[in-house]
This record gives sequence, structure tokens and C-alpha cells, in this order.
Amino acid sequence: MIWLYLDPGSGSFLVQLLIASAAGVVIFIGASWRKIARWFRKNKSEEESSDDEDSND
Amino acid sequence: MKKNPVTTKTQTTDLGSSFRDPSGFLFICEGILYRQVNQAYREEYSRLMESGLYEKLVKSGLLIAHTESTIQPADATLYYKVICPERVPFISYPYEWSFGQLKDAALVTLSIQKRALKLGMSLKDASAYNIQFPKGKAMLIDMLSFEQYQEGEPWVAYRQFCQHFLAPLALMAYRDVRLNQLLRIYIDGVPLDLASKLLPWRTRWNLGLATHIHLHASLQKRHAHSDLNVVRSAQKMSKEVFLNLVENLRTTIRKMKWKPAGTEWADYYKSNNYKDNAFEHKEILVGDWLKKINPRTIWDLGANTGFFSRVAGQTGAYVVSADIDPAAAELNYQKVKQDDEQNLLPLVLDLTNPSPPIGWMNRERDSFLQRGPVDAVLALALVHHLAISNNVPFSRVADFFTSCGEWLIVEFVPKSDSQVERLLRNRKDIFDEYTREGFEKALGEKYAILSSSAIRDSERWLYLMRRK
Repeated sequence: MIWLYLDPGSGSFLVQLLIASAAGVVIFIGASWRKIARWFRKNKSEEESSDDEDSND
Repeated sequence: MKKNPVTTKTQTTDLGSSFRDPSGFLFICEGILYRQVNQAYREEYSRLMESGLYEKLVKSGLLIAHTESTIQPADATLYYKVICPERVPFISYPYEWSFGQLKDAALVTLSIQKRALKLGMSLKDASAYNIQFPKGKAMLIDMLSFEQYQEGEPWVAYRQFCQHFLAPLALMAYRDVRLNQLLRIYIDGVPLDLASKLLPWRTRWNLGLATHIHLHASLQKRHAHSDLNVVRSAQKMSKEVFLNLVENLRTTIRKMKWKPAGTEWADYYKSNNYKDNAFEHKEILVGDWLKKINPRTIWDLGANTGFFSRVAGQTGAYVVSADIDPAAAELNYQKVKQDDEQNLLPLVLDLTNPSPPIGWMNRERDSFLQRGPVDAVLALALVHHLAISNNVPFSRVADFFTSCGEWLIVEFVPKSDSQVERLLRNRKDIFDEYTREGFEKALGEKYAILSSSAIRDSERWLYLMRRK
């Protein structure tokens, strides 16, 4: 049990958890899609790029 | 709630704004603002300082810097450390900000949260009142807002962020810019069910608003009495998803736009009646007089887009540039950003009903006047609005100015001026005292009139006065 000094609200937690599970589904579909795509383009090697650092404003 | 601080050798005053968080509180000692960090916050404070997060945030101008102080604690029983934060010249509140200011405050909060997460911390509150504009740019002023990030846990301050930032911004962008005034009524941000009701139906097609406001509001209602621990054990939220949530809030807010057009004064400088000569003359007079009195703090009341605030700012003073028109304040703020002006704070303020003190015992947020007085007040092309549009007698206008500051630079616009003619066009002229003589007589009771000058090529007059 974590001590919280503001009531975060059950509904507010639920939304985030729903987003989390929806994100899970999206990631799963995305991963599966990439797998299928890769199977079709076996000979092409592909690299994933990720952009990380954020800029403010 | 915090106990009253035990007064030690030196006289300290606790501030009404910081009793809710057990991590620490603000107090003033010999005119200097301190923040006591309590034992309860010891671990988090060390983590903030040692993880490199503090340095990173201060360096990027996102968090106010502080030094650790050796002053006596205000409450020795809870005491861990006393710190002395850099001074914020004027504390402003979200209901006084223009759209762009609230938007930047929101983006800064999210930016901080993102950086904190990467270093194993998280914002435990996301209150708009923790953001200020001390050097023109939005920054966090509460270094006690961080807690250790717990893997798998959702964001504790998510609801607060949505209420303080997302909801009012969405209402301003998609319904009406004046709805930021709801923040004056709801001190903990706009309730999401209310925001959901007031927003246009089409905002349900906006994925960010559909989830963070509409769905959020309906789940809040349905689960108002659910046990948080049951909810929490049902599912975990990975750090990656947490970061995505923050990013999604950022994109949602970035897409919100409000263009200042069609409100009352934004094109005032272009369409007003007096000639360039008059304007230039006024600029010279204001500049010269301010140089003479050399104020440190100035309120420019009825500042429009801040032309004369900038003239005033050249003296090096810190200028609060307030206007009733959200469009003027927005243009003013965009210019502050564009030119990196550090001593100017644009605000939206209705002088006929300035910000009241609000919150617990009316002591959490100060009224506008409580945040004064300043050294000098600028009231240019303002008095006719107060005296004629709002029927305030000159003597009461004088009372108001005297409670704002010591020096006054004020412009008198006579009835024959087209601006005043316009105000009187459709109403009975009940303003017999509205003459230059009447003005001088009424203000002369409270002020010594030190200089006065007719403004070239106009019928207006400018005065320099000092409170008696």
C-alpha cells in the first residue's frame, strides 16, 4: 500500500489502466504486423529507429 | 493539515498557500521567503538532488533554483532542511493567464514529468499554482512536488493535471477563451464532468480529449466509490506506457490553438484616434518620468498589448502588464516569448472586479491588491473606462490607485475625445464631474501632482503624481 497525499481517484486510475491495456493491444498488433511484414520481405533487413530526446515547448 | 509553526528566535510567518502537502511549507522570515523541507520528505529530497534531476531541470529553466539555508526552522519538530528558493517577483494565478501562458505551463509540467520519469522520479502533484513566470517563461516553483517513481503504478497527479490544465485549455480552445475564469471558482481545477458537458460534442472525435476528459469523467462518476487498491491490483502500467501517456497529453495540448482575433482591444493601437505624434510624445513623457522616479516594480493597468509596459521595462523595473482583454494579453505574452523579455508579466485582469482572495479561509490565493503595493502604477487610457463605462467616481478611482502603489502616471481623456464620445454615444451623460478640473481636484486630494503635460496633437493630458 502506497501512501498518497492527494486522492488520485479510482476513475482516474482506471482511465490510465485502460489506456495501458489499449496500448498493450496496439503494441501487440503492431508487433504482429511487423512480423508478418518481415515474413513477406525476408530478404530485406530492416532497422528500427527511435527518437528519444524531447524538446521543450 | 499542518500545525501552526512554532516560532523560534526570529519571527516567522507561515503562508496560507502551502498547508496541504506534508512534505514541507513556505514561511517568511525578515522579508525573505523560505521553504521548510520536513523529515517526511527527506528521502525524496535527497533523490531529487542526487539523481541529477534537480540540476538538469534548473539548467533547462524548468525548475526554480534554491540554496540550502542555515536559518532556524519554522517548525523544529518536523524539520529536515530549510531552503531558500530564488525569488519570484510576482505570483500570478492560472485564472489570470492568457491561453498561451496556461498552455506553456501545461507543457512545462509534462516536460518535467518526462525528465523525472527517466531518472526514477515522478510528479506527485501537477497543480497549475506550482507554475510561475519569474523570468517570462513558465517554470516549476515547488521542488517538493517529486516522489520516487514506483514501477507499474499509474500517475497519481493525472486527475489534477487534467483538471488544472487539460480541461480549461480545451474549454478555451474549443468553446470560449473566457472559460478559464472557471479556475477562479474551482480552486482544484475544472471538474471533468463539467468540462465534458461544456465542451462541443465534436471534441469526442479528438482521441486525447475523448479519453482524458470525456471517458475520464464518466469513469470518475461510475467509480466514485470503488476501492483504489482493487483497481490498482487489476492491472499494472509499465514505464513505457506511462511515458506514452505523458507524450499523448503533450500532443493533445500542443494541437490546441487559440488565435487572438475579434476581441475588443487587440487592434486598438492601429485603430485609435490619436496621431503618431501624440503617441510618441506620450512615450517620451512616460519614459522620462519613470527614469526620474526609478521604480523597482510597476503595474501597468489597462496595458493592452504592453507597448508602454515595455517603455517602463527599460528602466529595469519588473512590470506586471495587465489587461481585461484575453487577446491583448495573449499577444503581449507571445512577444515576451519571442523577444525573451525577462522583466515583463502579461496578465488578464478585470480591474472592475480584480482577482479576489480564494481558497481555504480565503487565504490560499491572494487577491490582486494583496500582491501589491508596487512602486509605480501606469494608468494610460484607462480612467475613462473606469469612470464612464463602469460609473466609478474619480475619488474612488483615486482610492484604487493609492492602494496599488506610491507613484502614479495617469492619462486623462476628455469627453471631446472620440474614445470617450464612443462610450457616451448610447447613454445619458450623467458625468458632470468628468472634466479635467474635476479629475485634478479629485485626484489632488490623495496625490501631489508633480508634473502634468498636454499630450501633443491630442486633447489628452498626462500626469505624474505621488501619493500624499
